[in-house]
Amino acid sequence: MIQCIALRKQYGELVAVHDLDVEIEPGEVFGFLGPNGAGKTTTIRMMVGLLEPSGGQVLLGGHDLATKPEAAKALLGYVPDQPFLYDKLTAKEFLRFIGGLYRVDRQDIADRSVDLLEEFGLVDRAEELIETFSHGMKQRLALAAALIHRPRILILDEPMVGMDPQGALALRQLLGGLSASGVTIFLSTHSLGVAEELCDRIGILDHGRMVAQGTLAELRLRASEFPELSGSEDSLESVFLSLTGTEGRRA
Amino acid sequence: MSAPAAIPLGTLLAPRVLATRNAFRRRPLRAWALAFLTGAFWVGSFLLFAHTLRFFQTITALGPVLTQRLLVMLFVSFFAILVISNVVTALTTYYLSPDVRFLLAAPVTRRRIHVARFIETLGASSWMVLLFGFPVFLAYGTVFHAGPLYYGAVIATLIPFLIIPAALGVMLTTVLVLAFPARRMRDVLVVASVALVAVGYLALRLARPERLASPSELAGFAAFLAAFEAPASPYLPTTWAANVLLPFLGAKTAEPLFHFALLASTAAVLAIGCTAFVERVFLTAWSCAQEGREGPGRERRLGHWLGRIASPMPHTTALLFVKDATIFFRDASQWSQLLLLLALVVVYVYNFSALPIDDGSPLAGTLREIVAFANLGLAAFVTASVAVRFVFPAISLEGRSWWALRTAPIPLASIWWGKFWLGFLPLAVLGELLIVVTGRLLSVAPGLTAVFMATLLLVVAAIVSLGLAFGAAYPRVDTQNAAQIATGFGGLIYMVTCLGLITAVIALEAWPVSRIFWSRFASQPINGGETAAIAISFSAVTALTMTAWALGRRSALKSLKHLHV
Repeated sequence: MIQCIALRKQYGELVAVHDLDVEIEPGEVFGFLGPNGAGKTTTIRMMVGLLEPSGGQVLLGGHDLATKPEAAKALLGYVPDQPFLYDKLTAKEFLRFIGGLYRVDRQDIADRSVDLLEEFGLVDRAEELIETFSHGMKQRLALAAALIHRPRILILDEPMVGMDPQGALALRQLLGGLSASGVTIFLSTHSLGVAEELCDRIGILDHGRMVAQGTLAELRLRASEFPELSGSEDSLESVFLSLTGTEGRRA
Repeated sequence: MSAPAAIPLGTLLAPRVLATRNAFRRRPLRAWALAFLTGAFWVGSFLLFAHTLRFFQTITALGPVLTQRLLVMLFVSFFAILVISNVVTALTTYYLSPDVRFLLAAPVTRRRIHVARFIETLGASSWMVLLFGFPVFLAYGTVFHAGPLYYGAVIATLIPFLIIPAALGVMLTTVLVLAFPARRMRDVLVVASVALVAVGYLALRLARPERLASPSELAGFAAFLAAFEAPASPYLPTTWAANVLLPFLGAKTAEPLFHFALLASTAAVLAIGCTAFVERVFLTAWSCAQEGREGPGRERRLGHWLGRIASPMPHTTALLFVKDATIFFRDASQWSQLLLLLALVVVYVYNFSALPIDDGSPLAGTLREIVAFANLGLAAFVTASVAVRFVFPAISLEGRSWWALRTAPIPLASIWWGKFWLGFLPLAVLGELLIVVTGRLLSVAPGLTAVFMATLLLVVAAIVSLGLAFGAAYPRVDTQNAAQIATGFGGLIYMVTCLGLITAVIALEAWPVSRIFWSRFASQPINGGETAAIAISFSAVTALTMTAWALGRRSALKSLKHLHV
């Protein structure tokens, strides 16, 4: 459902993302991990069409994002790391606007808006300006907007940041449900617990390179190649630290 | 445990000072341009005031009275501007600026925060008055051959004179914030200040200050000033300030030290009172300022109304129209610009109605048509000035929400068309109205009016396309203030480009239009060769504007493709 083929981003001499290859099956939840500055957001921005790759290809549902951007984007729901929304619109107006961009039927937008606002605990704030929302509320509204057109692919950049525990729990349950209904989810997160709980497969990015990808079991096996770094623990945190060399760097 | 040492004021003021310094360092060209413009303004103001004051000196009986009244009037004007400016600035520096929360969380006393913010407010509000006041006081000193004591007195007077409105402004803002939600307050103040500028511009323009350059008009002004009862109450700081300076100019016998003491003691009392008041209520007022929830009813009505207007438009254009128009009407910093636009249009039409070219002779008729042709250039220039305020910022105003549009399954070209129509339709209506209304005022032949209207339509299309191109090439997503976006470097070169285009169009149409004039005035029929030449000229105008339109569109789409927010 999602394919990145030799995806590359270069800024002058600096290579932010090195020839990344990822393939994600329909209904799969893929966790994207990496230390700060590893290139996760740059990769995601290329995958959603916000940034032009220096090389390589992104295919969404088989549509090339470079040559058939509209067809590819129609399948996609995206939530950025910083939910910058139109402050002077109300939550309902924002959903109506986004639904319109995806050519969702007006009545369907109205019905979906009520359902989604209810689901994300925003229904009593539906007619208020977004400028009055907290960060967590904006994050929830951005999620609702990403789901308004029933996307087949959901790409989320740090969706838990700024959310309260109830919101984070509800999101985890929602993602589980979406995945079960066949939605492909690409999730960038710093929360190793979330990745461990939700993701079928995990990719670890470091310095713009995918240093490992696979199921948690496969990653543990890979980490065991560095016993001096991973120690006896077999948690994702230990695997992550081993593969990104953080322990080594600290030492 | 002993209390921590007070944070130096320099530390608290450093962010603003360093940001200003960095802005000038990063854009040295802009700094030089500003310095040049300031210098030119100073020289111009100095010459105008010196000229006026010298004229007053020639009126033996009334001279000193006029000098005195003009100075009081200036102080009254400065004081009114300062109070309003301080209220507007204090709302931001004290209550809306995001860095206040860091200061409140830091081990800094409220008094310290207040003093730092007071200085910031004072500086931000007063520099314009200092800029304008400098050549005025210099002109007074030069014309009246004042000694160094006068210049010392000017500096000594200005310090308390600036502190008084700052203290009043800060206290007034604090009371208002305690009473009303800050966001609503900000809107009211933004609109009030833009309206003030619009009214000031109207008043200045309709008063025609250029008349003061002619002796007869200056005499009229002197008569007006002599009859004008300037508020010179002995209880006003403006009177005290004038009474400190006038004895040094030999224009009045007064007690400068006594009046200075009044001024300084009032400033001191107000500054201390302001500190005590703000220190006491600052946290409460700041908390109030963070609340700003809107009632739900108005939002729903606006969206419904705009949706009906947009219903005949294509899908994406309608969506963008409703979104942009909703944001426009909810953002006071955007819609208040309409007040300036209104003032501009009124002055424009007034200028044409006041033209002294209607004596009924045949030559006057041709002169009217020549003026009407010049009017085409002016109308295009007005449209460009409006476009720099409304079209150029259109891309920047998408700001950090650009991701929502860019990740949607709509081509960039659709976004461009949406923005183009939103800019083109109102500007075309405005431009055509200017041509038609001024055409009627000048009694221009309908055929020529039609030619001017067609030309302007082409020019407006090019201007809007270029506005989007420059707006996309020089985006400023760091601010949501449309007026601020327009004042950047991109806005400047956009205006220069528009001027170039308008000049080229006028140059291309000058000969054919003059030929048509002469054919009517001197009854010289246009021959076949000339008809062809006229057709070529108009075709060249069409080609030029359409090329500018196409290049603008291509450039905008290219910039939008690479726009990373």
